[in-house]
Formats: sequence, structure tokens, C-alpha cells
Amino acid sequence: MSADPTAQSTPPPVVQVRDMDFCYGASQALFDISLKVKYHRVTALIGPSGCGKSTLLRCINRMNDRVPSARVTKGEVLVKGKNIHDADVDLTQLRKQVGMVFQKSNPFPKSIYENVAYGLRIHGEKNKSVLDEAVERSLTHAALWEELKDRLHANALALSGGQQQRLCIARAIATVPDVLLMDEPCSALDPISTLKIEELMHQLAHEFTVVIVTHNMQQAVRVSDYTAFLHLGKLIEFAPTEELFTNPREKLTEAYLRGTFS
Amino acid sequence: MFSTAGFCLISGEQASRRMNSLPTPSRPPLRSVLLRSRKRTILGLDPQKLIKYFFGSNASVAIIVLVLIMVFLLREGIDFLPTYQRELQTYRRAGLEFCDIIDKPLQRNQALSSSLRQAVGASLETLSKQARDRRDAAFLLKRQVEDKSARPRESLRQALEKTPPAPDQIEVLRAELAVASTAAAKALKYPAFFSAAEVEQMQREFSALTPEVTDLPPLLLILVEEFTVKDREARTQFAELVTAQEEFEEAAEPLQEVLDELKAKALETKEKAVEFEVLEINRQRLLEAAATETDPKEKASLTKEAEESVSEAVNLEESIKEITGRTAELREQVEKYAVVIEKAAAVLPKDAGTGAARKMVNEVREKIPEHAREMRAASATLEDWRWDKPVSIFRVIGAFFFGTQWITNSSWQDFYGFVPLLTGSLVIAAIAILIATPVSVVAAIYTNQFASEREKELIKPVIEFIQAIPSVVLGFIGISLVGDLIKDFSEWSWLQWVPGFPIQERLNMFNAGCLLAFMAVPTMFSLSEDALNNVPRAYIDASDALGATKLQTVFRVIVPAGISGILSAILLGLGRVVGETMVVLLVAGNRIAIPDFSAGPGVIFQPAHTLTGIIAQELGEVSRGSSHWQALFMVGIVLFAISLLVNWCARAVARRFEPHKA
Ligand SMILES: Nc1ncnc2c1ncn2[C@@H]1O[C@H](COP(=O)(O)OP(=O)(O)O)[C@@H](O)[C@H]1O
Ligand SMILES: [Mg+2]
Repeated sequence: MSADPTAQSTPPPVVQVRDMDFCYGASQALFDISLKVKYHRVTALIGPSGCGKSTLLRCINRMNDRVPSARVTKGEVLVKGKNIHDADVDLTQLRKQVGMVFQKSNPFPKSIYENVAYGLRIHGEKNKSVLDEAVERSLTHAALWEELKDRLHANALALSGGQQQRLCIARAIATVPDVLLMDEPCSALDPISTLKIEELMHQLAHEFTVVIVTHNMQQAVRVSDYTAFLHLGKLIEFAPTEELFTNPREKLTEAYLRGTFS
Repeated sequence: MFSTAGFCLISGEQASRRMNSLPTPSRPPLRSVLLRSRKRTILGLDPQKLIKYFFGSNASVAIIVLVLIMVFLLREGIDFLPTYQRELQTYRRAGLEFCDIIDKPLQRNQALSSSLRQAVGASLETLSKQARDRRDAAFLLKRQVEDKSARPRESLRQALEKTPPAPDQIEVLRAELAVASTAAAKALKYPAFFSAAEVEQMQREFSALTPEVTDLPPLLLILVEEFTVKDREARTQFAELVTAQEEFEEAAEPLQEVLDELKAKALETKEKAVEFEVLEINRQRLLEAAATETDPKEKASLTKEAEESVSEAVNLEESIKEITGRTAELREQVEKYAVVIEKAAAVLPKDAGTGAARKMVNEVREKIPEHAREMRAASATLEDWRWDKPVSIFRVIGAFFFGTQWITNSSWQDFYGFVPLLTGSLVIAAIAILIATPVSVVAAIYTNQFASEREKELIKPVIEFIQAIPSVVLGFIGISLVGDLIKDFSEWSWLQWVPGFPIQERLNMFNAGCLLAFMAVPTMFSLSEDALNNVPRAYIDASDALGATKLQTVFRVIVPAGISGILSAILLGLGRVVGETMVVLLVAGNRIAIPDFSAGPGVIFQPAHTLTGIIAQELGEVSRGSSHWQALFMVGIVLFAISLLVNWCARAVARRFEPHKA
């Protein structure tokens, strides 16, 4: 039922989901999902509220492990070819490889510098110059360096909402992950901040593979190369964004895009 | 809140007045008439407002009560300063202060001589210890034999006293006693320092003990003699030390004699002055009453009474002359004393005795010149002392807040110095907080972050239950259990490295601190746990998503984010500890003196008294309105201020860094 638009691509998929079922206790949230996320591309997950977008995203860095009784009941998830549920997978390393940005910006109540350096510190980095360099690089990537370089030791909570979210992005990319997951990163921001982050997304795609959940179809069109449409826990259609929006193959997709169902 | 309610009541009145004056000739606009007519009112107020006033006034009650408490405390306590000023004035004018100038430093003499006496004892021990032990052991053994054969002995004694005597019966009883004594003497355990021959002799002599013979058995006499010889020997060997000690002790006597005479005179003067003062106050009252009285007859009688009660004022100047007149003599005695003790210090043998004794002697030798200097300095100030110099109010405030003595019901002079109580309270509170903080914070972190649901269900109610234990019950536990435990521990040989061990007093600051820590744990635990609970979930998400382990998330994110709440929990715990009364009253040992901090950390095993304890203990026994009563209220005011301050700090800390509410 889902197309496989990445079949002809040369670099192997960074994230591959194969025939995955996912359950919260007795209630099944995802049904037989198969998905390949292409290297250094932006992939958007769209679909009505409650269809399982966040759940799918959280499967990729195993954030769902924290929910007791939540588990993958069938299929597998591969990150760079490695099954992330294998016994020899170190969860902290996986999460270093797969960064995440949340819906609501959540910087720590620490300084800007400490926020960005946090990921490196917990993975054992103590060298000041390495940390300094990483902080500068990440903030530059997140288009914050110019704004904040003079007050790196100010409390992160003093920043504006948009800045906070970009700081969270900087924090997530400081450990140089392969994949960056974003769960509706703009839904709590004003239009101008949203625009800035969308611009950022294009930049980020040069360095990272990005998976973004959005409820805003226009945003998906603006930022993504590929789009997956989910409905009631099923992957209805997965195609290059332009194709999916201009020429949807599935009736359900078309209906959703036209806004004729709720 | 209070003022808001007051304001509301006034505006309510205005509103009702406006309503009563509604039907005025100029017609109000139609709409407002319609609106008003629909409103139902009670006493001119609509129900909404009434409800608001009701709640507002209830809230103000709390504040009014708080204000009343403050006013009451202040009203009772504030008179303390003038009262105490008057007392200190009398203390000066009657010459007590004059005597104390010399008397206070002279008290060091006693401490030094007791050190010396101990040193002498310890030195003599080294030679005469065994002889004394043998003597004492033999006496003890004899006592044991007598105790065990007490019944036949008593019967025999009664038989012997009986008239006429019954020789047959006496013989039977004598035999019985002999059997009992022999058995007892055989059964005894004889220490190893008695030789076999001596043991045999003792058994023989103890078996022969009878009520008629009051002389000591020969062996005991020998042992007594043995000790006397040894003791004499030791005394000659340490003759220098012994004489130095005696000289030092006697040196104070002539000075003390002069001083005692002066003190007696001063006390007499003071008593007269106080009596006069009381009468004078009475007379003033009568005169005042007379002044306000309208009935001329009554007025006349009051005035007459007042005039009759005019008592003869004590001529303080004359009395004081008798005391200050002897300044030269006193100074001369001080000088003599200083010379004598300096001489004694000089002849104190350098390395007298052994071990502990040597250390004590050396200490005393160092301290004597210092003491002599102190005495001479005190003697010099006698010249500048003026009996009629007024005591300024600042002196009085200083005497209260920085006074190192809290002495009440003294036949000499009462002092209300606040420092001993404050230090007691602070040290105990510090101990309690140092113990309770790690325990409760760690427990809160564990419960909040690591415990399973079932563990949480167990830990939380159990810790919160501690709060329900009446503090007097904890006091019980402190007296009967914790004190004994600490004492026993302190006597274990492998714990002797702990400063202050072995401890002298079972009831001490550490004991009280432990119990207060126990009492503070529920507050500190619950509030810390709340603080951790309030750390936003989003921080944990972020940390988890970056690959942090549970421990990293807890110690790098959750605890730092909750730190202001934890600090304010600790401060509120401190507030509870400082204000707690019953436990400290029962367990702290109640010695009113500044703990001896020269003991190092071991100071915590000394007894002390506290701000709360002193109020609880003394307030019931003092007469209302006396200076002592007022002093206790001053202590109450300070306590109240400390509590307010601690609570205010807790709030300030909690507010200072509230990131997740920003
Ligand atoms: N922690 C959870 N426990 C149980 N059910 C959950 C949990 N999180 C999400 N779900 C359920 O899984 C489904 C998908 O949720 P989600 O992935 O959050 O949807 P979306 O992000 O697309 O709005 C919903 O029906 C939701 O109720
Ligand atoms: Mg979602």
C-alpha cells in the first residue's frame, strides 16, 4: 500500500522501519509500518491528530521505552543498518546518534553554554576547548551564534520562545547525531520564529538527516523532501513531497489534503 | 489583606448609603434603574460582595492574630530594657560591680587549682596506686563477706544484746555465723595482686569475723599501713608539686577574705536600696492616685498615707565610700596574690609526674602568669570605677544581647545575658540540620526518582507519620534510649578517636540534635520531594533524548532544577528545629553556660540550654512583671524574630530561582 520512492537512491537509508507494529499495552498504535528515511534529506510525517506520528518518531530513538508496557510487537527499526532493539545496542549511544527536538522548547534552567555542552558532557567530554568549539559550531548551525555569543553564560530561560527552540536544536546537534527528530518544533511559535526555523531546516539537511512531524501541511511542503501520511496508525502513503501533494496516489491522502475529513 | 477588608467594609457602607438615597427627584437613566431593581440585597449589600467580605475577613483574622501576638510580646518585653537598666544601676551604685571586678577573674583560681589537684593526684597514683588498690580491694572483699553472712550476724548481734544472755543460743548462732562466713570467704574471687599466702590469711580472718570485734583484721591493717607508707613516699617524691599546689590554693585566701567583707557590705546596701525603691514606687502610686482623686476627703487621706510612707533613703554615697575606701587595701592584696601565684608557678616542677599530670601542670604553668596579669589589670580598673556613673541604655542592650551569663534567682545579682541560650539553640539546630539534610534530601531523591510505586506507598506515609509523634514522647526516647546509646558507644575503645569521647553527660546537644533531626525530616523530606516533583517533565525528556543515564539526569538536571525548593525545605526545617521546645527541654541537658568551644568538635557532647527551653522552664515560676519575666519575653521576641527571618529566607530562596514558572 505504500510506495517506495527511495528504492533507486545510492546511499543506504539512514533509518529503516520494517513491518513494524507498535502497542501501548493492549491498544495498538501503529500497524505494519515500513519506511526508509533518506540520507541528508528532510522527511515529514503528516496526518490527523492521534494518528501515531509522534509514536513513530519516538520509535526511532526508543523514547517509547520510558512508557511501561509500550513495545514493538512486530518488525524492526534499523538505524544505519543496525537493529536498534538488538541486545548489544547501547541506548545512550543510540540517542547520541539520534537527536530529538520537542514540540515545546525545553532548555534546561542553566546557562546557554551549559545547555549546548550538556550532551557532550554526559558523554564524558571534559576538554574545555572541545566544548567551546562544539558550542560555537552548534550555535552557528542553529543561527544563534551572532545573537548570543556575548552572553553565553546568561540563563537560557531568559531567551525568547523562538530562540529557546533554536537553542534546543543547537543542543541536539552538538553531539553530531546522524538523525535529527523534530516533533512539531514550530507549533508553539509565532510566525516569524517559525519562518526562521524552517529556513534552518534547509541548512540542517546539508549536515543531518531530518525527520519532522508537523500538523501543518504548508510547512511540510516548504521544508521537506519526502512526506509520509499516516492515518489511524497506518502509513497510507510515502512519496517525495511534491509528488504526494500534487498527485496523491491514495484516496485517503487526497481527502486529507483537501481537508474533506476531520 | 487586613487593610483590604477594612477598605471593602467602608466602600460597602458607602454603597448602601448610595442605595438608600436612590429615589431622588432627578430621574436616573432607565438602564441603571432596571439593573438595580433586579439586584437582591441584604443589608444593602448584594450577596456577591457579602461572600467576598466573609472570606476576606476570615483571612484577615489570621493577620490580626499575628499582629496581636507581636503587640503582646512587645508590650510585655519592651519594659525589660528600662527595668534591667534600673537593676544594673543598683548593681553599680551598691558596689556589687566593684566587687565583681576582682571576683570574676579570681574565679579562675578555682579552675587552676582543681587542675593542679588532679595533677597531684595523678602523680601520686603512679607510686601508690597498687597499694591503694590492694587496700580498697581488701575492704571490698570484707564487705562482701559481711553482706553474705548478714543474717546470722544480725541474729547473733541481737542475741548478744539480749538481757539476760542465753549462752546456748549464742553458741549455736556463733557456729552458724562461722559456717556462713567461711563459705562466703571461700566463694570470693580474690584479685591477682594478692599472693596465695595473703589470700589464705584473708580467708581465715574473714571466717573469724564476729559482731563483737570492731577492730580491723590484721591483714587489712597491714594493707592500710602499706598504703600510708607509699602515699607518704609519693608525697615526698613529688613534694615540690604538692607544696606548689597547696600554696597556690592558699594564695587566694587573704584576698578572698577582704573581698568577702566588701561583698557583704555591698549586698547589704543593695538590699536596702531595693527596699527603698519598692517603697518609693508605692509612694509615687499613692501620690498619683491622690492627684487624680476628685473626692477631697479621699484625696486628703491618700496624700497623708503617702507622706507617712516616706522612708529614709539609703545613703548610697556613704555606703559606697566604705567600699571604695578600701580600694588601696584590695589592690595591695591583689598584688600580693599575683606575686605569690607567680612564685608558685615558677617553682612548679618542669616535668613533674607522668603523662597526663605533666600535661596538666604544664598547662597550669602557662596559665598562671596570664591569670596574674588579668588580676593586675582588673585591679587597675578599680581606680577608674565610679559608683555614680549612669548605665546607658546601650550598655543594657549590650548586656542582654552580648551578655555571657544568664543567672537568675541569685543572692548576689541576676544577669540576663542572651548568648549562652543563643549558642545552645544554634549549635543544636546546626547539628539537627547537618543530620537531617542529607537524610531527607537523599530519601526525597530516592523516593521521587528511583523508588517503585510500592516503595513510594510505603516510604511516604511512614516518614510523614513521624510528624504525628508527640515531641514529649521523643523526649522520652532521648532520655531513656538515645542518651544511653551514645554513652555506651562513646565508651567503646575503637571509637575513642571521635572528639569528645568518652562523653560525660547523657543529655547533651548532640542527643537533642539527633532527635530534632528526626523531627525535621518529615518537613524537609516532603517539601524536597515536592520540589523534585515540580521539576518539569520536559527537562527529563530533553536529558533522556540526549542519551543521559538515569543518574546523570537526576544529578545534573532534576536536582539542580529543584535546588531552590530543596533549599527552602531545609530552611523551613531549620525554622521547625529552632522553634521546637519539648525535646530540647528534656534532652539538651539544660546547663546555662556557653559551651566550651575549645573542646573542638567534641563540644557537641556538652549540655546546653536553649531559647525555647528557658522560656518553657522558667516562665511558669517567675512572678508576673518582674525583670526575669520581662527578660523571658525578650527572649520570646528574639525567637519570634528568628523564626520570621528563617521563614522569610525560605520564601526568598524559593522565589529567587523559579525557572519553570518564568
Ligand atoms: N504514553 C501513551 N500511552 C498510551 N497511549 C498513548 C501514549 N501516547 C500516545 N498514545 C496513543 O497512541 C496514539 C497515537 O498517539 P500520538 O503518536 O501521540 O499521535 P500524534 O502525534 O499523531 O498526534 C493515540 O491514540 C494516543 O492516544
Ligand atoms: Mg504528536
